[in-house]
Amino acid sequence: MYRLIDIMKKAIRKESLLLLLIISIATVLRFWHLGINPPSLTWDEVAWGYNAYSIGIDGKDEFGRFLPYDYLESFGDFKPPLYAYLDVLPVKVFGLNEFATRFPSSLFGVLSVLVTYFLVKRLFYNSKNKEMYALAATGVLAISPWHIMLSRAAFEANVASFFIMTGIWLFLVAVEERPWLLLLSAISFVLSLYTFNSTRIVAPLLVIFLGLVFYKKLLNVKKQAIAAVIIGLLLLAPILGFLRSPQAALRFQEVNIFTDSNIVKTANRQIANDHNAWWSKIIHNRRVGYAESFLKHYFDNLSPEFLFVHGDGNFKFSTQNVGQLYLWELPFFIAGILFLIKRREGYWWLIPIWLLLAIIPAATARETPHALRIESSLPTFQILTGYGASLFLFYLISLPRKKIMLKKVLLGVFSVAVLGNITFFLHSLFIQYPRESSGEWQYGYKDAIAYAKSVEGDYDQIRLTDELGRPYIYTLFYLRITPQEFRSTQLVTRDSFGFVHVNGFAKYRFGSDEINRNPEEGKRTLIIEIPRKVPSGVRILKEFPLLNGDTALEAYTF
Amino acid sequence: MLRRYRLLFLIGIIFFAAVLRLYQLGVTPVSPDWDEVALGYNAYSIIQTGKDEYGAFLPVVLRSYDDYKPALYTYLAIPPIFVFGLTVFATRLPSAIFGILTIFITYLLIREVFKKESLALITSFLLAISPWHIQFSRVAFETNIGLSLNILTAYLFVKGLKKPWVLILSAFSAGLAIYAYQSEKVFTPLFVLVLVLIFARQLFSLPKKYLLTAAITGILVVTPMFVYITSHKEALLRAQATLAFSDQTSFLKNQIKRVNYDHLRKDYLGLVLDNRRVLFLLTGVGGYLSHYDLNWLFFKGDLTRHHAPGMGLMYLWELPFLLIGLYALFFSRLESKEKRGKYLFFAWFLLAPVPAAFTSDLPHAVRTLNFLPTFQLFTAWGILSAVQMIRVYKERKGTIFSKLFPVFVLCFLFFAVGNFAYYLNQYFVQQNYFYSRDWQYGYADTVDYIKKVDADYDKIVVSNKQPLDDSYMFFLFYLKYPPEKYQRESLSKSGGYDIRHSFGKFEFRPVHWDTEVKKDTILYVEGVSEYGGGNIVKPVDFLDGTPAIKIVQG
Repeated sequence: MYRLIDIMKKAIRKESLLLLLIISIATVLRFWHLGINPPSLTWDEVAWGYNAYSIGIDGKDEFGRFLPYDYLESFGDFKPPLYAYLDVLPVKVFGLNEFATRFPSSLFGVLSVLVTYFLVKRLFYNSKNKEMYALAATGVLAISPWHIMLSRAAFEANVASFFIMTGIWLFLVAVEERPWLLLLSAISFVLSLYTFNSTRIVAPLLVIFLGLVFYKKLLNVKKQAIAAVIIGLLLLAPILGFLRSPQAALRFQEVNIFTDSNIVKTANRQIANDHNAWWSKIIHNRRVGYAESFLKHYFDNLSPEFLFVHGDGNFKFSTQNVGQLYLWELPFFIAGILFLIKRREGYWWLIPIWLLLAIIPAATARETPHALRIESSLPTFQILTGYGASLFLFYLISLPRKKIMLKKVLLGVFSVAVLGNITFFLHSLFIQYPRESSGEWQYGYKDAIAYAKSVEGDYDQIRLTDELGRPYIYTLFYLRITPQEFRSTQLVTRDSFGFVHVNGFAKYRFGSDEINRNPEEGKRTLIIEIPRKVPSGVRILKEFPLLNGDTALEAYTF
Repeated sequence: MLRRYRLLFLIGIIFFAAVLRLYQLGVTPVSPDWDEVALGYNAYSIIQTGKDEYGAFLPVVLRSYDDYKPALYTYLAIPPIFVFGLTVFATRLPSAIFGILTIFITYLLIREVFKKESLALITSFLLAISPWHIQFSRVAFETNIGLSLNILTAYLFVKGLKKPWVLILSAFSAGLAIYAYQSEKVFTPLFVLVLVLIFARQLFSLPKKYLLTAAITGILVVTPMFVYITSHKEALLRAQATLAFSDQTSFLKNQIKRVNYDHLRKDYLGLVLDNRRVLFLLTGVGGYLSHYDLNWLFFKGDLTRHHAPGMGLMYLWELPFLLIGLYALFFSRLESKEKRGKYLFFAWFLLAPVPAAFTSDLPHAVRTLNFLPTFQLFTAWGILSAVQMIRVYKERKGTIFSKLFPVFVLCFLFFAVGNFAYYLNQYFVQQNYFYSRDWQYGYADTVDYIKKVDADYDKIVVSNKQPLDDSYMFFLFYLKYPPEKYQRESLSKSGGYDIRHSFGKFEFRPVHWDTEVKKDTILYVEGVSEYGGGNIVKPVDFLDGTPAIKIVQG
């Protein structure tokens, strides 16, 4: 009995209350208006939702593969499948809608915030300030623009980041006191490989690094270490074949910098300018060119404007007027790095190395900086900010009484900067963002498809433009077509690049220009097209506006 | 050893710097750009007539292309142009000489502040080979003079704390800096303020008469510029045009929508947050921070004329030392004066991008040249710290580390030397091939040709449409057109973009082939995109083989 009271007393310590508060804030910021902001679903989100729906009904993906464990074919992008499985239950419970589709991402977002607390305490295990560091980092992650944006849409990257954090946390616990947790750590890392493409590079890098650094400690727990390796490999075995297949390489090559032929052309020209001298062939070797290109893309992700001022240029990852991190974080982030190295507390070195490793896969792609592909670097940024901010607060507390004015001024400036910046972001996100960004989120499909459904009986055929991308999956999603019905009437082609084109099912047809062609005599046809392409002289039945008032789609008939 | 041979080292460094700055000065970059020819021709004009191209007598500001350049550079170009004639080499020589002097002044400054011979030598060596500094020491860009004067101001200021009369020279140098380049009008006053604040205690314990004399000197020196600016409002136009939000309608397009939406919803918080002043501030902060982008510094640079192809503003091998140096200097425990020196360099480092922050086309290597030599100091500090760290390590461990260490150092040296060789090749060989277009190549050949056939034509029409903007100045420059005659003929009109302009038998205006008079006594000089037909008597190509200019007979 006394023990129970003791435990309860412990549980309601100040820190726990603060942690609870932080988690509540994180939950509200991730779940509030989840179904309507971001204002619409992207095609990838819809694909997750529908595949989860399909698996939930007959255990098969949309195209009928039974329990796909290696990939979801989807649009031919061969998605790592885990997100769809995580989404089966939410779709069962909440129905096939926006909220349910995004639920796993938001949930794992909140869990990431929680894990960060335990992770940071482990990282700084030997510091007397570890509680403060942990709460600060957790707090910063809870309100992080980066993490909030990525937790509010069905981004599988967000779930993968959770598995990475958890894997590292469990690894640290395991090598310190509970060796059997190595197994869970291994499982967590492997799950991240089943979740997101970029983590297929990051996770192995991190695991190898941890293995090398902790090899002495791992030798002490040989049995568990070997078991963890075996479990990891066993779990990995099913997808090893796929990872080496041409399909997996295909999507990688499209976005990859090493297929850029300009680098070779420039190198050849430079060597010619040097009259083919031997030394020129060394300094202008195309590998040098590729290395340079890699580093350029690498450093893009560390651009201060990207991190602190404008954020990712993609509206889906950023509100465009707040960085991936808040501007107020900048001084604390820098102080965090400097003092982290200076003070050398706990496993301090793990934080910068994690950050630097996590950017590597994104740097091989052409589109940089890329907030999504480097998400597995979270929460290192937040830990560094939290670390710097904690030290700043300790400094304030340590100021002598006669400097009370300075203390007040510094605290005042700090609070105003932090609160002002947060208010600015939240106002942007919850008030202006839906209106400004609806076009980027494929807004318009939902209304258009609902209209088509309402008049379905009046037409023999309904054609939907693919100008906004992948109309079939939206139609399946919003009409809640059962997977059996889809599979039995689907018109699908696959091109030589592996892309899947769904040209129609039941009375629905999808395409670009051909949908505007006159129907066969006597056939009643409803056409939904973007305004620019609606032919003149047709009867416009209805317009479907974006949230900023522009028209996304129009329904017409001949 | 260092102490004994320091003079030798120093001379070696300065000699090396001189070679890097003077070798092929007139031909690499392959052509002067429009600002260089303007500075050169105006110096030529002042030598012969005492007036600039508009007939202004000994101007403090050159109207030039209505961009109102501070005139100091032109005056500095007078001696070399007097001696060597109006050539590209002579026009660029002041910049190169100031570049070489800067290496020496930097050495003096670092030695004075930190009392460390090795640090001063390494810093000045790094500056001597700095791609950033070489870039602007080899072209007639006014910014390089501004940089020299700022470093000189700092050196004389610190020196003046011991010999107070030197402060007067420091004030003179600071005052002069604002005649060098636009950025200095913002940077130099702030820089002097920083110096005064950091060294306040020593400074104000000096005899008052020196401080007063120095202050008065400074004020006297800047007075003409101040008078000019207050009496020529148009001189400020240029500064306004480079602001990021000079085009308010496009800049505020989204913001207006936001504000309307806030109005509609009676969202008073929103009206505060979406206020355009917030956006101005954020734009400034973004512009400021863009100068701390590693990509800009080490790989990309900005405009093609501001860096060698494939290079940024610094060597990649410097990066690790830069980071180590920043860290080590930040946490270094120094004596009083050195500590103030440390504050000075950090303040300098943070102040350098301020003049550029609110302008467009950022980051911008010219407007922020005042970053130098802070990066070099941090890097040098990093190199010394690394050497020290290695010494400690080597003593502590005797196993794998010490065995692998020489290999590692060798690899790194190989990389650093390769990096330097790569830069030299990019600058001296590849740059002219890849960037001749950006350096407005083609006029020298064009004018040479025209000089030969001049007698056959009554009229020569030269386009001034992009990329031949301000072509008249290139013609004045290469023809060495008599300034006195030009001032009479041009009627002090501006020759700016798309404005009809003429002197002698030359007419400068866009060419519209369909409506042109086609006579074989009229010659047309036009850009590739303007060519609409007619007999091409001479094509001029860029060095990469693409066509640059077409000379067409009417």
